[in-house]
Amino acid sequence: MGTEAMFGLTGKDFVILAADGQAAYSIIRLKNDADKIWKVGNMLFACSGPPADTANFMEFIEKNVKLNELRTGIPMSTKAAASFTRNELAHALRKGPFQADLLIGGIDNEGPSLYFMDYLASSEKVNKAAHGYGAMFTLGLMDRYWKPDLTEAEAIDIIKKCIKELETRFIVDLPGFKCKIVSKEGTKDVTL
Amino acid sequence: MAGGYDRAITVFSPDGHLFQVEYALEAVRKGTTTVGVKGKDCVVLAVERRATPKLQDPRTIRKILVVDDNIALTFAGLNADARVLVNKTRVECQSYRLNVEDAPTVDYVARFIARTQQKYTHRGGVRPFGISTLLGGFDSKGQPALFQTDPAGTYYAWKATAIGKNSKSVTDFLEKKYKEDLDEDAVRATVLTCLREALLVKPDATVKLALKGLLEVTEASGKNIEVVIIKESGITWMPDDTLEPLVKELDDTAEKIAKLKEQQ
Amino acid sequence: MDLLGAPKRGMFRDFAGTGAAGLPNGCDSISEARFALPAVQDPATFVETHFSPGTYEDNGKRVKFSKGTTTLAFKFKGGVIVSVDSRASQGSYIGSQTVKKVIEINPYLLGTMAGGAADCLFWERNLGMQCRIFELRNKERISVAAASKLLANTMNSYKGMGLSMGTMITGWDKKGPQLYYVDNDGTRLKADENKPYFCVGSGGTFAYGVLDTNWSFDLSDEEAIELGKRAIYHATYRDAYSGGVNNVYHVQENGWVQVYSDDTYKSHDKYSAEREAAANP
Repeated sequence: MGTEAMFGLTGKDFVILAADGQAAYSIIRLKNDADKIWKVGNMLFACSGPPADTANFMEFIEKNVKLNELRTGIPMSTKAAASFTRNELAHALRKGPFQADLLIGGIDNEGPSLYFMDYLASSEKVNKAAHGYGAMFTLGLMDRYWKPDLTEAEAIDIIKKCIKELETRFIVDLPGFKCKIVSKEGTKDVTL
Repeated sequence: MAGGYDRAITVFSPDGHLFQVEYALEAVRKGTTTVGVKGKDCVVLAVERRATPKLQDPRTIRKILVVDDNIALTFAGLNADARVLVNKTRVECQSYRLNVEDAPTVDYVARFIARTQQKYTHRGGVRPFGISTLLGGFDSKGQPALFQTDPAGTYYAWKATAIGKNSKSVTDFLEKKYKEDLDEDAVRATVLTCLREALLVKPDATVKLALKGLLEVTEASGKNIEVVIIKESGITWMPDDTLEPLVKELDDTAEKIAKLKEQQ
Repeated sequence: MDLLGAPKRGMFRDFAGTGAAGLPNGCDSISEARFALPAVQDPATFVETHFSPGTYEDNGKRVKFSKGTTTLAFKFKGGVIVSVDSRASQGSYIGSQTVKKVIEINPYLLGTMAGGAADCLFWERNLGMQCRIFELRNKERISVAAASKLLANTMNSYKGMGLSMGTMITGWDKKGPQLYYVDNDGTRLKADENKPYFCVGSGGTFAYGVLDTNWSFDLSDEEAIELGKRAIYHATYRDAYSGGVNNVYHVQENGWVQVYSDDTYKSHDKYSAEREAAANP
């Protein structure tokens, strides 16, 4: 959970999320192209933590959001999905907690929204957020360069700056960063 | 003949009938007509829509339900039972995806629905689901599939069939007119002819066959019919502006009346 | 809201998601093996305290599970090579030198064993049963993805209760050769695209060294088998808890075959002779 990096920010009419691609077991890097940004409905969920907990939890959320879509015939709003997810984390917290930190990004009628959620089931709607030790290095950068109504190019530039900073200052080499954008047109991968 | 053996679901009659199940089939026979036709690369489902009262929101009455990404279901019989059964099926499809990381085959879903319906025929204190379903979709190999389930818990695979009111006339019609490997055009045309209505700019055989079959037993108007086309790429509802003219084209009531007059 | 199978945790619980053996909800299943847990407050701590699941310490516990191993599997153009050692250690005592650490789930699926031997053996045989039932019910073979998922679901349901298992599930299905890593935490990882291999066990890091520098997708069958042998040899050389016999399997389109099974001392003789010859030409 610590030695991972995950961050995201809201733009004019989109949300951008980035996450590293490492899956490790004790001191061994088992995988360097893990995709930690899940597509759930028409939103993006970035989830960090032990692979067992994150996969289990995310698949559960993904399937239930899909079920809701099938039942109602319309996609779930980001606010509702975030609320549902937080609720599940909260219920499980005192029984069998999920060690999963999340960043949820989506577009609603009111515009782009980014939710920061952690394994203790706290949830906040924010403009920029990060998880893991990586957060220590990137939040300052994001605070410095973020402004309302960012364009896609500007946002991608900030993400690139953050990754460069991690490469410079973080003792753990994190390979295979993946970056995705969600907008009214849907989700798309970004090659950094 | 029932003589007291029709009360409890778990009791056979002396001549081997489960009356509750047969009565459930009666309820199905009274339901709105539903037609399904399997083509080479599509499955078309068409239903007769009962006229909605003026003050009712038509969006709340759904007869064609999406069960999973490429699988749709229609039914004949009790609306409420369909709603509950489809809910269970949707949960099952997502559950399957969760455990097996792959989409369930139409066969699997049909078996699940049939198994569920059967469960309710041999326990006390419950009654069978009063619906037969028509399930259309694509399997993992890209082959179209059409299945039917009934309140007894049996399931059948079909090339083309109909359930509900007047289903016999429609199935007779389909038996005469069905051809193997209909393309989407042919299937659409068949469906539409079943409903006896109008023409498309580009006539579609499978849709036409399904519609023509339905039209055998329904009034020729776009407002009374709902058509869904399932292809490997997904499920699409036929919009009213394409449906209405197609229905009109296939409506051969006038011809039939003229023929009858001639014969007289 | 009627949710689908919340993955519940806790002492006694229903199955996560749908039925245990990949069966739908509400279906009775003989293959849903459930054990009576030790009649204590906290089974996980109980196991922790009395059965010493630690790796390198001899902490004087009474019952020592067998553990310590090197297993590896890698994909290449000819399929998958699976290469394992065969030593079972109980603390510093070598329990056996002839353990079969490749479990033949069915003629086209293989599983490897690392961690608790009993856990691996039992649950992989249970997986074999679930796979067979799937085949009979659905009239087609189960995919490697689904098989590994079934095992991961089982592990998830016993999460925190002291199971010890690090395994690789591999086979050749409709999507080609597949390789998954599944462990007792419920972790399930698909092999990387550009480095499709795993080395699991106490000697894993040593094997990674050899594999990382010599692996390529375009290896011939002979080169791949030789690489598998070499990687295990080097791991058994350095890791005290690995050794015995090296078993190598090759997973091909029509199923797996065992291609090699010989003592690692023989490998040592062979490679040290080569080294001597190279050093003193």
